Amino acid sequence: MKLIFKIIFFIFFTTSQLYADDASNWLKTEVDFILEAYRNSDISNEKRFSIIENTVNYNFAGTGIAKFVSGEAWKKADKETKEKYVKFFKKHLALNIASLMQGYANQEYSLINSKYDSKNKVSLIDMNIFTNSSSITITWRVKQSKERFYIIDLLVADISLVVTKRSEFNSMLKKVNNDLETLSELLHKQNEESYKLLTN
Amino acid sequence: MKIKKYILILIPIIFFSLPLWSLESDKINTNPEDFETSYNEDEIYDPLESMNRTILNFNNIADKIILEPVAKGYRKLPSPIQTSLGNFLNNLKMPLVVVNQLLQGQGGNAVETTGRFIINSTAGLLGLIDVAEKVGLEQKQEDFGQTLATWGVGDGFYIVLPIFGPSNLRDASGMILTSITDPINAYAVTEGEGWIVPVKTATNAVNDRSKIIDEVNALRDNSIDYYAAVRSSYYQNRNAAILNDNDSTSMPLPLISIEFE
Repeated sequence: MKLIFKIIFFIFFTTSQLYADDASNWLKTEVDFILEAYRNSDISNEKRFSIIENTVNYNFAGTGIAKFVSGEAWKKADKETKEKYVKFFKKHLALNIASLMQGYANQEYSLINSKYDSKNKVSLIDMNIFTNSSSITITWRVKQSKERFYIIDLLVADISLVVTKRSEFNSMLKKVNNDLETLSELLHKQNEESYKLLTN
Repeated sequence: MKIKKYILILIPIIFFSLPLWSLESDKINTNPEDFETSYNEDEIYDPLESMNRTILNFNNIADKIILEPVAKGYRKLPSPIQTSLGNFLNNLKMPLVVVNQLLQGQGGNAVETTGRFIINSTAGLLGLIDVAEKVGLEQKQEDFGQTLATWGVGDGFYIVLPIFGPSNLRDASGMILTSITDPINAYAVTEGEGWIVPVKTATNAVNDRSKIIDEVNALRDNSIDYYAAVRSSYYQNRNAAILNDNDSTSMPLPLISIEFE
């Protein structure tokens, strides 16, 4: 009996670690791709953001995150409003990631730890970014679906981007009576400002 | 003598008022149907929001004009200088970290931190070199806010302090306790070298700010409600510190659906 448990535990542990390692290798490629865009001085800022936006849109569960952060406003909105909001949100997410990664472009990083949370079916990959005198840990939460990976959240020093966005959006939605249409307009305006700051 | 008298009056007031304020924050309820999952930051008690927003705007301007440029300059210093200064400042905090670890019943950690303090203060040349890290004594941080939380004191209301930034009633009280019980501060004041206290505080602020320049800028430049983003970040960071949990699997997981990507 003990042996069976040991074998089951071994198989479970090995499979979980393989999942985490696969996700880790995939993530490294994507992070390198974004950082490379920043290190390449031959491309314009606009082109650079376009590359990063495509990478973020392809690799993040943007629609799912957009739905999550909008809370109850999502339920009340019609299909057209939801589509418009998701489009603006994906740009907003790309601007957030691009802005964060811009600061890390000239710093060394290493993936230090990866583990698979079998209960929630999520891989957690810790990445250390090194500055001159200190380091900061980023944890990527990665989920697998339809034979590919999606990033569902990232934590910078224990602060979740998605939870922070949810709190921020809840606060704005309270001011606009939970109207997703109005929030989308505000998001659009913020995106334009953020884009200017990033590309100038 | 007068200062001691004020301290003796202040400590009971802080301790007795905390549970009363904390009761208020416990009254906040969220409708479970509003969200697919519930987080602390959905339930933050913030009765002073409009005043807090004004103070945050002021802090933001002060940060852009003074703290951020100074922190950027600090980051240009040679790496060994930054590391040594950071180590030195951290070492000064260790006596109070030990006190808080003991108050939280973390005897093992208190012994480890005491070892760190002794080794770094001697072999580490007054804390400039982190020798203890090299011999496996890991650095841990504890403060009075965390201790009060461990004792079951609630957050109280959220407050943005001028210059010092986001806090809550419990953590702000913890900060006052830290300031009045810090042996370095007490020694400096009794020796007539009171100027050391603000200089130490300012240097700590610059050192801490220099570590999060990119993160703060990313948040500030890309938030539709920077105030709410800072508030949420503060609570998430503090909750992780209170739980002393380095395991990312135990952090609350947002329920993100990827079926319709």
